[in-house]
Amino acid sequence: MASEKPEARETERVQRATAEAGNSKVTRRTFLKVSAGAAGALALSGVPRIAFAQRRKSVRIIAFAQGFAWPELFGSKGTEKTDALRGLEKEVGADIAIEWGDESAVRQKVLADLISRTGRYDVILLGSDGAVQTYGFGGLLEPLDRWMTRSPSPYVSLKDVYPKYLDANRIEGVLYGLPYYSFGPGVMYRRDIFRKYGLTPPRTTDQFESILKTLKENFKKEKIDMFPVTMRGAPGEEPSLDLLGFVYAYAGYAAWFEGGPTTAEAIRRKKAKPIFTGDFRKGFTAFVETLKNYGSPAASTHTWVDMLTLWEQGKAAVMIPSAINAYPARLGSKIEAVRKESRLASSPVGPSGKRIQSFWTFSLGLNRFSKKKEEAWHVLAYLTGKKAMEEFSSRTKFPWVTMKSVLYTKPLIDTWGREELAVWEDAIVQSDPYYFPYFPELNEFMDKIGTAASRAIAGAKVADVLNDLQTWGYERMYRGGYYR
Amino acid sequence: MAVGVRQRWERATMLAPGLLALAGVTLFPGIYLLYMSVMGWTAFSPVVRFAGVDNFRTLLRSASFWEAAGTTLLFVTLSTGLSLLLGLALALALNEDLRGRGAMRTLLTLPLIVPPVVAGFGWKFLLSSDVGVIGAFLLPLAGIRVAPMGDPQLAMASVVLADIWSKTSFMFLITLAGLQAIPPFLYEAARIDGAGFWAQLRLITLPLLKGVLIIAVILRVLDAINTFDVIFVMTQGGPGTATATFSILGWKIGFTYFDLGQAAALAVLMMVGAVFATNVLIRRTRLAG
Repeated sequence: MASEKPEARETERVQRATAEAGNSKVTRRTFLKVSAGAAGALALSGVPRIAFAQRRKSVRIIAFAQGFAWPELFGSKGTEKTDALRGLEKEVGADIAIEWGDESAVRQKVLADLISRTGRYDVILLGSDGAVQTYGFGGLLEPLDRWMTRSPSPYVSLKDVYPKYLDANRIEGVLYGLPYYSFGPGVMYRRDIFRKYGLTPPRTTDQFESILKTLKENFKKEKIDMFPVTMRGAPGEEPSLDLLGFVYAYAGYAAWFEGGPTTAEAIRRKKAKPIFTGDFRKGFTAFVETLKNYGSPAASTHTWVDMLTLWEQGKAAVMIPSAINAYPARLGSKIEAVRKESRLASSPVGPSGKRIQSFWTFSLGLNRFSKKKEEAWHVLAYLTGKKAMEEFSSRTKFPWVTMKSVLYTKPLIDTWGREELAVWEDAIVQSDPYYFPYFPELNEFMDKIGTAASRAIAGAKVADVLNDLQTWGYERMYRGGYYR
Repeated sequence: MAVGVRQRWERATMLAPGLLALAGVTLFPGIYLLYMSVMGWTAFSPVVRFAGVDNFRTLLRSASFWEAAGTTLLFVTLSTGLSLLLGLALALALNEDLRGRGAMRTLLTLPLIVPPVVAGFGWKFLLSSDVGVIGAFLLPLAGIRVAPMGDPQLAMASVVLADIWSKTSFMFLITLAGLQAIPPFLYEAARIDGAGFWAQLRLITLPLLKGVLIIAVILRVLDAINTFDVIFVMTQGGPGTATATFSILGWKIGFTYFDLGQAAALAVLMMVGAVFATNVLIRRTRLAG
């Protein structure tokens, strides 16, 4: 019965409301009961099993050249998931993810991953100009020969790959990387300009210098805004690839250490000292003088991008020895003569009888710390295999392929002709990938040598630059324990 | 007493998440950097070993360290000094009641929103003696035939120019804010007393702006010491090592020579140098004040 007084009614109402609220409160016991029930129901329903089964393995790749490399898998933007990619994922039994980046950023990420042994990336970008050597010696890469025999892949057959490209990825006989696009040395020249001055492609370094002299004189006389030659001289490792080719052609061997050893073991055994002020000097000087006398005044900071730009704008008559850098310009330049009159010739022979070298492979390797090696190996095999090479050549039209069976195919023959492809192939076959030594500190030496060249091109005396290099080189090798 | 303890606990509890976050993002990386600097940690050795002060010793004995020290000092002095002068001059000009002042202020702050990498690329192409508007067209028109990127002295001038272009806005904004905080009656009184522009600048503006300028210089010096992007995209530290500052050297040691221990040692030395430089500036200001 309700009370008659308003105060009493109010009190009663409050008491009732409080009691209702107390009844509706979720107690700890209720919460535990409901939670346990829900967990049991979930376990019996099989949902976790499905979720677990759906957590497939994932192979992570890291590389540069987005939209340009493997367009059949990742599309022309590098971010698509094509049917071909889905098919490969099904075959491999794992999801495939790729991370793109600018070349130096990718190299840094690879280093950070390998050195911290996290195994974040399974298939990693390498390169035969230091990464294969450093990481191979450091035990950070998976030897690939073992995977070739243990788990053969239908995608890659080493017999089809040019042996020199494979040699460039071996450390003391062990294969650590497989090449994707790659190149050997050559001379790219403007046929129309050569014809105009009655010149033919150089066969020797003497002829080469004479041609550059003729071009320079005529360009000056006729006020033509062109440089006789373009090469790269930026500080860092980049020019070393070409500069060391000059050293090899002038000395006749990889003239870095006494006696010319090309492996870490041989350097250590012979206690071979650097000879940067010895046999190394002639080739170094030739490279520097060529750029100083016949190249752009800004050549001491030029990279491959500048070589390409100068060629594309028709501002250079010769590109040497990494002639590869002219190909994108040959297809895309707005200047007709650049597109139609650029021709490839063999790299000239130096005083030693050996050709000027420039040799590089865009290689991929397997991270030693990958947790999905089997799947990653099959992905790697696809990425460097024949199908990937065919797709690359048919889409880009560049002849930078690693297999003979792909080099002489319709897209490339139609674009460049058999004759030029034969010159390209000859450059690979005649190359010596060991025109510089393979030892763990290679990257550091490449950087110091390239930077020394940049200094000399910018005006420092060659003798001073090489003396500094010699002092540093000896100290570095001593610190590396080679002479103890 | 008991209430005081309880309050202190409450305050500590409230502050703890913030302090922990701060420790996570500043203290931990700092301690880890110190740890790395005393380890022999390279990519070509599978073993990470304790190296003591070896990394510091190797670094301090190398010619490239001292070369980079000189280059960094030159870059920091030129870049900070010139951007300070330019920023101050612009702020003084645009603090006056000019027509179009708002638009000019907006224009002047635009470089601040351009990423330094973009600024570096832009200047590289403008100054290029092969294809640049300035380097290949305007300078030759004026009878000047130089390759700004190919000459060691001009390359340094080019990166300083790009850095000044990129950072003067910052100095301008801080200085302008400082100028606007100075009470106008001081200038009115000075004018009545017959003080001209230079007298007002020397006796009113600079003394009252000193605190603001010191803060701006400290921030700018720290920023200049760490400048990497502009130099890297324009010259990669070249020609040779003409523009290779500590930041470029550190990047090379870490990511080209694969020696993370030595790169960390350089970072520690840079940190010590930056703290030292900041302290000197603050102490000098206090003494002068």
